[in-house]
Amino acid sequence: MFGRRRDDELDRELKAHLEQEADEQREAGLSPEDARFAAQRALGNAALIKEESRDVWTWTWLEQLGQDVRYALRGMRKSPGFTAVAVISLALGIGANTAIFTLIDRLMLRMLPVREPRELVLIKLIEKGRTGDSLSYPVIQALDERRDIFAGVAGFSGAMFNTGPSSAVERVSGAWVSGAYFETLGLTSPLGRLLAREDDRPGAQPAAVLSYHYWERQFNRDPLVIGQTLRIEGNPIPIIGVLPAGFNGAEVGWTADITMTLAVLAQIQPERAALLEAGPQWLRVLARPAPGLTRDQVNSRLAVIWPGMASVAVTPKMHPERRQALLNSTLAAEPGGTGWTPLRNEFSKPLMMLMIVASLVLLIACANVANLLLARASARRREIAVRLAIGSGRGRIIRQLLTESVLLSSISAGFGLGVAWWGSRLLVNLLSSGRRQTLEFDLQPDWHVLGFAIAAAFITAILFGLAPAFRATTGGPGAALKEDARNSHGVRGKLPPSLVVFQLALSLVLLTGTGLFVRSLWNLQHLDPGFRHEGVLLMNVDARRAGYEGERLAVFYQNLLSRLAQLPGIQSASLSMNTPLSGGIYSGRIAVDGQAPSGNAHFNAVSPGYFATLRTPLLTGRDFTMSDDANAPPVAVVNEEFARRYLGAGQALGRHVATEGDLKSSAEIIGVVKDAVSYSLREPPPPAVYMPYFQRPKEMGVATFEVYAAGSLTQTAQALQSELRAVLPQTPVQMQVQPLTEQVGRAMIAQRVMATLATGFGVLALILAAVGLYGLLVYTVVRRTGEIGIRMALGARQRQVQWLVLGGALKLVTLGIVLGLPAALAVTRLVDSMLYGLKPNDPATLVSAAALLAAVAVLAGYLPARRASKVDPIVALRYE
Amino acid sequence: MSKQPADRTELLQGTLDMLILRTLLFGPSHGHAIAKHIQRTTDEVLQVEHGSLYPALHRLEKKKWIASKWETAKDKNREFKYYRLTHDGKKQLAVEESKWKRLAGAIACVMWPAEEG
Repeated sequence: MFGRRRDDELDRELKAHLEQEADEQREAGLSPEDARFAAQRALGNAALIKEESRDVWTWTWLEQLGQDVRYALRGMRKSPGFTAVAVISLALGIGANTAIFTLIDRLMLRMLPVREPRELVLIKLIEKGRTGDSLSYPVIQALDERRDIFAGVAGFSGAMFNTGPSSAVERVSGAWVSGAYFETLGLTSPLGRLLAREDDRPGAQPAAVLSYHYWERQFNRDPLVIGQTLRIEGNPIPIIGVLPAGFNGAEVGWTADITMTLAVLAQIQPERAALLEAGPQWLRVLARPAPGLTRDQVNSRLAVIWPGMASVAVTPKMHPERRQALLNSTLAAEPGGTGWTPLRNEFSKPLMMLMIVASLVLLIACANVANLLLARASARRREIAVRLAIGSGRGRIIRQLLTESVLLSSISAGFGLGVAWWGSRLLVNLLSSGRRQTLEFDLQPDWHVLGFAIAAAFITAILFGLAPAFRATTGGPGAALKEDARNSHGVRGKLPPSLVVFQLALSLVLLTGTGLFVRSLWNLQHLDPGFRHEGVLLMNVDARRAGYEGERLAVFYQNLLSRLAQLPGIQSASLSMNTPLSGGIYSGRIAVDGQAPSGNAHFNAVSPGYFATLRTPLLTGRDFTMSDDANAPPVAVVNEEFARRYLGAGQALGRHVATEGDLKSSAEIIGVVKDAVSYSLREPPPPAVYMPYFQRPKEMGVATFEVYAAGSLTQTAQALQSELRAVLPQTPVQMQVQPLTEQVGRAMIAQRVMATLATGFGVLALILAAVGLYGLLVYTVVRRTGEIGIRMALGARQRQVQWLVLGGALKLVTLGIVLGLPAALAVTRLVDSMLYGLKPNDPATLVSAAALLAAVAVLAGYLPARRASKVDPIVALRYE
Repeated sequence: MSKQPADRTELLQGTLDMLILRTLLFGPSHGHAIAKHIQRTTDEVLQVEHGSLYPALHRLEKKKWIASKWETAKDKNREFKYYRLTHDGKKQLAVEESKWKRLAGAIACVMWPAEEG
């Protein structure tokens, strides 16, 4: 090897020098032995000279790195316990951080896999100072024609399609897009062609583009699929192309397996044809500026042309106030390379929170490894002292110790990537649990993730490695060599206990967070929502797709309802426009007793028996009956909150309520029910007005049937499904019959996820801190063996010796709690909005977190304490 | 190591390279001889620390200002690594020399201004 040869030469060179010098000294009259010593003195530190001369050649650092790595690996093999503890705690810490980063990256940072994604802009509508993400179809089409500003403007929205033959209808996620979508994104098809502007003209032939994944899964990558037809909502739609692999639509997290143009929406889902008018704003908009235009230029041009174009956004049917607001609106182009997703709003805060929590856990892990390294460095003090004495530079030794740290953290990061691979999937599963549509992300680690893991590894290595390395080399060789051998095993100084106190304090912060989230979940689970979900099944039915309308629809629903009510085991059955916690609301302004509209209320249209099925108590008055139909005088039931807020102290029954849109038909209040939550479990029940479902045939559409059944819910669900299939054969296979309990559970999902994750991280932090404390105490006992021996020889009891160690542990944990409490108070304030039913400074939570920490500290101190009390004074003192 | 005669002067940073190059102008020489030559010609005023001599030699060799070759000394049965000035080294020496002259002249102007007047 080149390096080896140069080393030998350097040796020979210095040897020749020494011999020559000795010769000269001898000639000057010294004895041969004295001459040799004199020559060595004159030369000085041969090792240092060699090292510095070697350093001249640049390859040395690589050579040294190789040496250091080999040396570090040898050291790791020699202490497998230390290595395992360090690698496991770091791998968990780095892995958790990387997993969360993976999700943050996919959700917020990753560019769409399209041509020049950085050029793309999202067009937003600013109306009365409020920014909305969505525009209506006519606006998008009009903007797409402005070639002076845009090369293309694309609208898109996620959709679910009932796909397949009527015997096996499946719900497949897809997207409606405007004609310029694929051209704007700059995509080409690996098979067939993609949709173009011609496919989005009125009267265009329907055509579908499949995602690569769907093509693979459903058609086994058959190239002959082009030209075949796929049954969507009962219509045969020709397949014209396949999307490039990796691109699943511009909505991040929503896989569009089937993409169709908006113009054919009216043919496929006739009941939704109104979506193509100017009123509904439901399409997100990505645009590519005309060549050479910057985003600023786009914005200033939009500011000029939009006032003249805004009329495309309104229709004569609109409320005048809203029409004016739209005519006065402005458009804004924002960076759009990362696509669009509602998940960003929903998850950015929880994810950032998690990132903070995970970094705290990583810090605790770093403190652990730092302490382990300190302990090891103390054990190696002699070795290091000897190396300093024979002339190694201090920098060289620090470099070697840091190499060990970096190697340790790199190995941990390797395992951490595995943890992250698994953890990011777990996280996505957790976050999508309870959603109708699972979130889909490409979680393969890429260079973003790899870079993050590498950066995390280096930062942690510096965090835990630097202090031990500097401490190991301070004081020079003399001090360490003079110390007696046993003492050199101890952990001296204030750094190790401070690190443990730091860990305990951080653990307290995390445990407090855990407690807050767990108790929030408990509070939500035990709140009275005003209805009972146990034993209730929900079934969504939309008979309009089967051609039922108006009076026929009402009759259809009534017949289905009476069939369901006669099924065995059904206690009560009803149907309604909306159900509690379904995620949708109908709300608007109401007017009482013919006065001017006075405030907002939530509406629902329900059939007779609704309150009995959901077991919402009727407080006064009566429930609806089947005779409250379109021919009967309008009636309504309100809840307590409505009565309290809008009817005052007076009698509620007999008074009248009307909706703002329909002030003429005022309904008589015939009953008052108990308050029930509507949109969100976390919000107090809003004022609510219930109307008879069959009194308003014009507003009928989709209906949710609810049944309260005794006995097996699965059997009842099957009975409901077969009942439905008998009357509506087009029903999708996985047609939604679901327990109301599930819908309620979904409303708690965010809380449950936070509680689960907080518990996971809290436990991890607690374990790491306990290991840290335990390690410190074990070393303390070893160091003080002599002292303990003397104490015992002088008559100290076992219990007193145990107390010596446990007292130390308690002192540390007390300090940790004292320091951790203010930190916990400061940090948990950030999660105030994510809690329910308690404040971040909840005393009970703080006290139990501190108590748990103290208990674990005592547990961690117990083994070392026992070990201390088992010290045999004779053995211990023989050492002295 | 700690006892340094008071009349010995520490070498200025960077001058050792120049002195080594100048010494080698007389012909190839080995490390020990170079050190001895510098000490002798300065009447032992300049003490060459061997700790800096060998790193300096290797530095110069790496910059290709000097080249080395193992040879047996004429008078002794001992192999030495002989250093010799290269063409680049000669040029470098001229550069260093003029730089040093300017520096020394400038220092002299400050230290003994009367001589100028």
